[in-house]
Amino acid sequence: MSLSAYLPIAIMALLASGFAAISLGLSRLIAPHNPTPEKLDPYECGIVPLQEPVQRFPVKFYLVAMLFVIFDVEIVFLFAWAVRFTQLGWYGIGAVGIFTLLLIETLVYVWKRGALDWNVARRSRRRPAVVEPLTEKAA
Amino acid sequence: MNMNLLAVAPEVIVVVAVVALLMIDVQWRPGPVWWAIAAAMGIAGATAAVALQWVDYRGADAASFFSDMIAIDGFGAFAGMVIFPLAGLGLMAAWPLIRSQGGRGAEFVVLVLIAATGAHLMAAAANLIMLFVGLEVFSISLYVLAGFTRERVDADEAALKYFLLGAVASAIFLYGIALVYASTGTTSIGGIATYLRSTILLRPGVLMAGMAMLLVGLAFKVSAAPFHMWAPDVYQGAPGGVTGFLAAGAKVAGFAAMARVLAVALGGRIDDWAPAVAVLAAVSIVLGTLLALVQSDLKRMLAYSSVAHAGFILTALVAGANGIPDMWFYVATYAVQVLAAFTVASVVSGATQGRAPLSDYTGLASRSPWLAGMLGLLMLAMAGIPLTAGFVGKAAVFRSAIDADYLWLVIVGVVSAVAGLFFYLRVIVLMYMQAADEESGHIPVPGGARVVLVAVGVLTVLIGVVPWPLLTWLRDALPL
Repeated sequence: MSLSAYLPIAIMALLASGFAAISLGLSRLIAPHNPTPEKLDPYECGIVPLQEPVQRFPVKFYLVAMLFVIFDVEIVFLFAWAVRFTQLGWYGIGAVGIFTLLLIETLVYVWKRGALDWNVARRSRRRPAVVEPLTEKAA
Repeated sequence: MNMNLLAVAPEVIVVVAVVALLMIDVQWRPGPVWWAIAAAMGIAGATAAVALQWVDYRGADAASFFSDMIAIDGFGAFAGMVIFPLAGLGLMAAWPLIRSQGGRGAEFVVLVLIAATGAHLMAAAANLIMLFVGLEVFSISLYVLAGFTRERVDADEAALKYFLLGAVASAIFLYGIALVYASTGTTSIGGIATYLRSTILLRPGVLMAGMAMLLVGLAFKVSAAPFHMWAPDVYQGAPGGVTGFLAAGAKVAGFAAMARVLAVALGGRIDDWAPAVAVLAAVSIVLGTLLALVQSDLKRMLAYSSVAHAGFILTALVAGANGIPDMWFYVATYAVQVLAAFTVASVVSGATQGRAPLSDYTGLASRSPWLAGMLGLLMLAMAGIPLTAGFVGKAAVFRSAIDADYLWLVIVGVVSAVAGLFFYLRVIVLMYMQAADEESGHIPVPGGARVVLVAVGVLTVLIGVVPWPLLTWLRDALPL
């Protein structure tokens, strides 16, 4: 593959970055620059915001996001299989079946461990008791 | 589709054990006894499967299956015979840690089993993509294991550092695969070898860059200098019970992958990569030895010593495929030694603890003569004292390097090995010639750790005194 095939992409990249640079630069040069506190607010009208927009939020969201990724990747794999479904035949069905079974096992495990419970209080009740505390070395 | 279930039997057996372990545990909560049973069955089954592979396919009978993805050869089979028992020993050594984690202990056992599967997949891969998948399965399990005790900040730090640097290394390795594919048109390890043998590349720049990236990615994983920065922090921060398997497994899997990629896929280009490997080896040996001299923490010292050992193992690889039996000898004996050494650290300094200051070991001989004797033996073996497996290993890798005309590397190695005696002997002096603190008492040794230490001690001395059976045996542990 010769590099000339990428020429349109290079021109496009140049045009895009040039447009951004020129329009930002022009508005910076031409526009009057006279900031007031009201102008710098996120919203010029409406309720005055009481909190910073960036704030702490529950770590539960990360857990859900992580679980989402697992099952999202499953779909990615299934797409590749679906495109070649007829060529792969029974071998493909078997392989994807095993793969899906392993993912179902993941779902069952995650579910039983209570990772899908949004209410943390209920989850902590279900959590298994500590089997045996670690005995510290003889003091 | 040439399917051969024996090719994937070790992986399948372990995965079935893992699924059974998790499902039964989450439903009925039978506790640690069930985890031990499931893990033992999985490891025993996988070990039997690789032993069967060894009997049936070593030497000329080697073959690859599943669209040339997985090989059955003496190389992969021997790697499995090291990795799966190593995982078993690692679990036994980590048992106090596993029990201390309550219900999460099952996940620890599962992660070790999965890591062993990934490690064996790395060794048995016949395709770079398969090798990368194995590498990721293995690495991701280890990242989680390194930070398994969530409440300790230094374990979190270790896990995060390991993850970030490991991810960068994986990315570099993957880019290397892409560049090698770009210049040879295949990701099959055998295919790359055939292409390079039959084709003269007029402009090998892309291939060179790809080779360099493959080498760098794997050098990260085996903690060879100058890609060793993560090792001391990770080994020191990770809980004591984990570190042994972390260090030993990474060496076995990393060097298996490195040998297959360099000696087989890129074997025709040995004149290009051997000098780079020799420099890596020399830098690792010198830097690892020098930095180990000044450590005040046993686990940190062992980490730097493992950098030096990575250098010694690389010394065998400069000979290409001819050095592989000697590499295996060193890797296998070193892996069990480092596992046992970290096991002693986990018993003395605490299985969930990260740090193991050398002051914990002052006068250990009077507190626990047994542990002190074992650690002393391991230190002597790692230093390469005759009548231990460490000596034979060093002799073997030096012979490989001399055969490949790398005399300067052998001289660097021998001088550093002598300098290294200092810090190994310092531990022994500390244990035997200094008095223990008043308040420190006798140290109880858990049963699992006892088994590990006895097994490794016997192996180290036995192989050190009569190394010939293993050395002869390893002539069959060659890649496809």
